[in-house]
Amino acid sequence: MAAHSDEALKARIQKGHLIETPEEMTESYKKALIQILLVQADTELMSAPSYYMAARTAPSMNTRLSAYAVIQDELGHAHITFRLLEDLGMDKEYLIFGRKPHEFKNPYGFDQPLETWVELVVANGLFDRAGIVLLSDPFQNTSYAPWKRALVKVDKEELFHLRHGEVWMKRLCEAGGKVKGEVQRAVDWMFPMGVEWFGMPDHLKRHTAQLEYKLKGKTNDQLRQDWLSAVVPLCQSCGIRVPAHHDPDKKEYVLDYQFPVDYDAEGKRWLFEKPITWDQVFDRWKRRGPCNETYVRMFQKHYQDFAKLMNRSYS
Amino acid sequence: MSTAVLSEAQVWDALKDVNDPEMPISLVDLGMIYGVSVQCAQVHIQLGLTATACPAVDFIFSDIRARLAREGVRDVRIELVWDPPWTKERISEEGRFLLCTWGVSV
Repeated sequence: MAAHSDEALKARIQKGHLIETPEEMTESYKKALIQILLVQADTELMSAPSYYMAARTAPSMNTRLSAYAVIQDELGHAHITFRLLEDLGMDKEYLIFGRKPHEFKNPYGFDQPLETWVELVVANGLFDRAGIVLLSDPFQNTSYAPWKRALVKVDKEELFHLRHGEVWMKRLCEAGGKVKGEVQRAVDWMFPMGVEWFGMPDHLKRHTAQLEYKLKGKTNDQLRQDWLSAVVPLCQSCGIRVPAHHDPDKKEYVLDYQFPVDYDAEGKRWLFEKPITWDQVFDRWKRRGPCNETYVRMFQKHYQDFAKLMNRSYS
Repeated sequence: MSTAVLSEAQVWDALKDVNDPEMPISLVDLGMIYGVSVQCAQVHIQLGLTATACPAVDFIFSDIRARLAREGVRDVRIELVWDPPWTKERISEEGRFLLCTWGVSV
């Protein structure tokens, strides 16, 4: 049978047809699918070293168990997603152990140092919420059936991570005083990072292949609204300030600063008085955050050392 | 808030509201409550975990205490029970149904 034309494929997908195998895909569908799966796989993978550094500061044995369980889940999710990539002809071992640090496609937020228990639970509350928003969308809307099925387990487990974050944020804020101040400081740098997580606003972005192929169903701005509508009330209920509020006239959440702005990664603070362009944001993402190399090295070093011993190499 | 003295049945009822932190099913339906007794104002709960390294034990303890606090119970002693170990057989009929509708087969 002749290869399906791209237009015919898009038309079938828009009617609700689900894709099961690479044979049903056009090259350009496959390329877009690989791209979106790689972002998910790398995000899950790179959350692990970042959470791990902070989980070591857990205040008790039971809290440490919870934090490590979250990390194990994330690695499981990464594994599931790299397995999906394998079915599309990608080399899982190379993707994980062979790529250079700057080639990983995780969001900028997982290139940052998480240094305390407070930062870990705020990351669970804010970044795992971003994960849930980004993964609930393909679970409901994606045209790639194996991904949809894989997300059943992933989305359930992400709910536990989120709960871990939200319950702890509330507990710490109820305690008040110094620890609440620490929550506020963590939210101060992580909140705008979460806003940026969803990428360029719709009015600047061309209609993407990801939407045309229904790999996902919602636009960047819709997903950002989903995130804001969960995170802003959460922070408000904790008595934590965020630079965003609900606008009853527009019936949506609006930011209280000009978006996007520059970030001082060393000082962990946003330069709200310094608006930048999206090209400058992409440059910052490409330069990577302070922990990118450290985190990749955490899971690649021993693999590569052993590979050298065994006389094989990915370099 | 005054301290309340609950009957064992009232404690069981309250625990029906405490869901497992990972699944939308109560600790009672999941078969994790091995026993309840009340002595004066102290509630004593025997709790079995579904896994020895349960990652949610911290949440389960605090959720039980928070639920009973709403009934005016301040003194709750939670005892972990490992024998007999928890198995899937302990899940109630209603629990099985809930888990199936949620996408987990038992």
